[in-house]
Formats: sequence, structure tokens, C-alpha cells
Amino acid sequence: MTTRAIEPWIFEPLVKFVKEAGARLVLLMTSAGQVLAQHGFSRAVDVMSAAALGAAIMASTDEIARQLRQPPFAALNHQGERHGIFLAAVATGRGRLVALVVYDLDVSSLGLVQLFFEQLAVDLQAASPKDSVPKQVLAADFERELSDSLNTLFGR
Amino acid sequence: MADDVKALSAELAQDPDSLVFLRLGELLRAKGQLDAAHRVALTGLERHPHLADAHDLYARILADKHDFERAFDEWDMTLRIAPDHVGALKGLAFLYFKVGDVQQAAAHLEAAQRVAPDDPGIVQALALAHGGEGGPGPASPAPEPMASSPAAQPLEEARVFAGLEGAQEGLLLLDPSGRVLGGALKDPAGRDVTDAVAAYLAGVSQEAGRAAKLLGLGNWTGLAAEGQHGHVHLTPPTGSALLLVVRERAVPMGRLAIIAQRAAVAARRWLEAQA
Amino acid sequence: MTSAPAAYGRVLDLVTRVRGVRGAMLVAGDDGLVVAEQLMEGIKGPAVAALAASLASRLRRAMEAAGVGAGQFWHLQAEQGALLVVPAPSGVVVVAVAEPDVNVGLVRLELLRAAEAVG
Repeated sequence: MTTRAIEPWIFEPLVKFVKEAGARLVLLMTSAGQVLAQHGFSRAVDVMSAAALGAAIMASTDEIARQLRQPPFAALNHQGERHGIFLAAVATGRGRLVALVVYDLDVSSLGLVQLFFEQLAVDLQAASPKDSVPKQVLAADFERELSDSLNTLFGR
Repeated sequence: MADDVKALSAELAQDPDSLVFLRLGELLRAKGQLDAAHRVALTGLERHPHLADAHDLYARILADKHDFERAFDEWDMTLRIAPDHVGALKGLAFLYFKVGDVQQAAAHLEAAQRVAPDDPGIVQALALAHGGEGGPGPASPAPEPMASSPAAQPLEEARVFAGLEGAQEGLLLLDPSGRVLGGALKDPAGRDVTDAVAAYLAGVSQEAGRAAKLLGLGNWTGLAAEGQHGHVHLTPPTGSALLLVVRERAVPMGRLAIIAQRAAVAARRWLEAQA
Repeated sequence: MTSAPAAYGRVLDLVTRVRGVRGAMLVAGDDGLVVAEQLMEGIKGPAVAALAASLASRLRRAMEAAGVGAGQFWHLQAEQGALLVVPAPSGVVVVAVAEPDVNVGLVRLELLRAAEAVG
């Protein structure tokens, strides 16, 4: 299974997390759904839809928390028969990132994912460039940016 | 036959984890398409590194390609995973016969015959071996000598736990990837469960090491467990190898620990001799 | 069967009163999450829970493959400590973190009692 990152500082922490947590699929993206790294996906179309859905779920729960006048929820977990989906935000020097993790219940557990996600958050925080903010993507450039990102994420 | 290749290839493409690669690889080998067979076997081995039949298939392909040294290694590996694998015993006998070591060839054929007494091929080969003690004819190719390999020793001597209680049904020595180095394991019904248990144990050992390390307990030294029908004791006799001792429930855990200690000494000695 | 959180404390008391035990926990076996804990300073509950449950699950598969049936008690020995575990029928796992020279027989007994109380 391949791990790929558009921004190199993400690569090492992500590889370590995947190995320790036994994660099957991972997406790291901005709150707007722009993917910065992925592990385990084999098709670009899956990455795009997972990123859009993940960002939408995070936006919805953030809004629920806001209406309840609570700070944003730390993490969400959905557990199926064979897989679990873990969705959480992490603060980095590049702003707030969202992680979507899919794990097999045969090889991992929510406890393991949570445990090593804490370490991932620390590692990303330490590795991220401190003096930069995420680049604003203009609509005109969006398609080219997306295409470039997908090419990087799939090693083309 | 081309259709068979096509059908098996399609089946494999649909489910790359299936064992159909064994049939496809063998079919391609039989058709003489050795490069294609080589690719199929290697891909299968990557997915099933602990499958004895996969190593046996790869060895047959290598032997057909006259890469006898690597074929020897693969059959040797097959026997480490499955000590009674008839194909590997016959394959090694064939290689010994080729280099003129008729005695070893006969020893391996006799071991194969004990497992498969009705195999006419083994009977014929044994007759040939016994009839030609003077060595193969001048037409036989002579690859590099292989006498230094562990499998070249008499089979009984190669056993790690020779002389220890339960060596053939309740002791198992594995390398860090879960490959069997010695011993064997049978379940209470007498079925050989060596391969299945070996496949799970590598994960157990990694998890034990990780848990001890992350919880600040230092290196792990042993893992003892009571089951409904028996007890197990797992220990790393060296930094990387793994030793499992299994006994019925009647054997107290303390006694099991002593048996494990003795087996660990034997395992360490054997591992040092192999180094 | 004990189900109220206060009663969980009493169950864990059974284990932590044994000399050499540094902490005891009830862990959800499937998830590896803490259900209840009584730990000395410096022991990371979530890490113990996740790692003990993961090891228990891997060990269970190996033991089933070996034909010795489901695990009833296991003991991970390490240079500077030990992890002792008994699974309860409900899927909860009772875990003790102990010194390396703890009386294993006594901890085992109390873990079995705790597992019976948890149900």
C-alpha cells in the first residue's frame, strides 16, 4: 500500500501513524476538502469523493457544536461490522487539517487509532512549517490544482 | 489449454489473494512458459510468503530454468514451513541426485515415501537411487556443490528440539516473520496446526514487544496464557526468534515455564550453530 | 453482575490491593477503550487499554488456531513490569499493570474474581 503526500512534511508522520494504528485508508485534507496526503487509495475518484464527504461531515458537526455553543467536536467514529471510520481535526502550522481514517476491526481498534492519532497530531504539529498559511486556491486555478494534486497523490 | 490459462488468469485478476496462482503457475510451467510462470509464482509468494506450496512451485520453476541453487533454497524453505512436504522432499532428492550425492537423494526419497507410500514416482526414483550408488552418469549436469546447506544434513539431526519432550507436537521455533525454523504443533485432535499458528504468532510477538515498550515496561521476556483446553508459553529466545510451547491444561503453568526455558536453551544453541 | 460505575471501583479495588499492582482497569475488549480505571501516577490508561486489547485479540486468534480454546488468563512478562489480563464473558477485559516481581498467582485470582463480578 502506498502513502503519498503533496507536502513532504506530512509524509513521515503519516507513514508512522499508518503502521502503528494499522489503518487501511487515510486522507489528510484541509477543512475545505483539499487533499494533502493519502494512504491506501487506489483510484483518484475515491479520494475525491471521500475528501468531499469527510469535509462535509466535519463542517456539519462543527455547525452543530456552534449551535450548541460548544467548542468543535474532537473526533467522530462510525463503527460498522468489519470497518471503522474515524474523523478528527488536527491543528498544524499550516492551519486546521482534517484526518479521515478507515480501519479494519480485525487488525485495529478505535482505541489504537485514537492512541496513535494523538501522536500523529503531535508529529504533524512539530513537522509543519510555522510561518506559512494555506494558499488560497482561485476558482480559475482550481481544476489545474486538483489535477496536479491527484497526480502527486497517485504518483503519476 | 490456452483457455485454461486465460480462465485462471482472469480468476486471479478478480481475486489476487486467491490460491489460484498455484494452478496457473504450474500450468504455465508445464507449457514451458517459464518466464510467465516465474512472474506468477513470485507474485503469489509476495502475497503468501508462508505457504509451503508457493515455495514448492517457485522451486520447480527455478529447477526447470536450471537455477538449481535457488531451487534448492526454495525447497529447503518449503521443508522449513512444512517438514513433510512430499514435493519438496522429491525436489531435493532430484537435486542431490544431480550433484552425485546418491545417499542424500535416497534419504530424502525415503522420507517422502514415509509420507506418501503409494506414490509410484517415489518408488521408481528410489529404485534408481539404490541401483546407481556410483553416482549419476556423465550426461548429468553438475551444478555448484550444495553440501553445506542445512538440509544436506541427515534429517533427524536438523531438528531443533531433538530429544526434548513434545518436540514434534508442542514446540515451535519461528523467525521474526513467522516462518517455521523448527518443531511442530498439533491440536488436541492430532491435526497439524503448525502453519496456521505460525502465521498468527508473528503478530502476537510484535504486539507484545510494542505494548511492553510503549507502556515503559522494557523488553518483553515472555507471554504465558491459559486456554480452555491447554496452556501456551511464548518467549523470544534471542532478540528476533520466537519460541512457542503448548501443553494440555493438566500441565501447570510453572512447569510449562520450565519446559519453555529448556527449549529456549536448545533453540539458542541451534540458532548459534546456524549463524 | 456489577454494572454501576461505583461498583466498578469496588471491582478494581480487588485487584489494586494486591502488593506490587500499579493499576487496574476495565477495558472494552473490541474497542480497546477504557471503561473504568484505578491507576498510579504515570500509567497511561488509554495506552494500556488499546495495547492490552490488541494483544488479547491477536493472542486469542493464535490460541484458537493452536486448538487450546479461548484464553482465560494471560501474563506478559517484561524486564520492568508485567501486564496481567482476564477476559470477562461480557467482552470487557480486566487488566492489571504490575511490578515484575508481583505475586502472579494472587493477581490472577483477584482478576478472575473481578471478571466474574463484571460478568
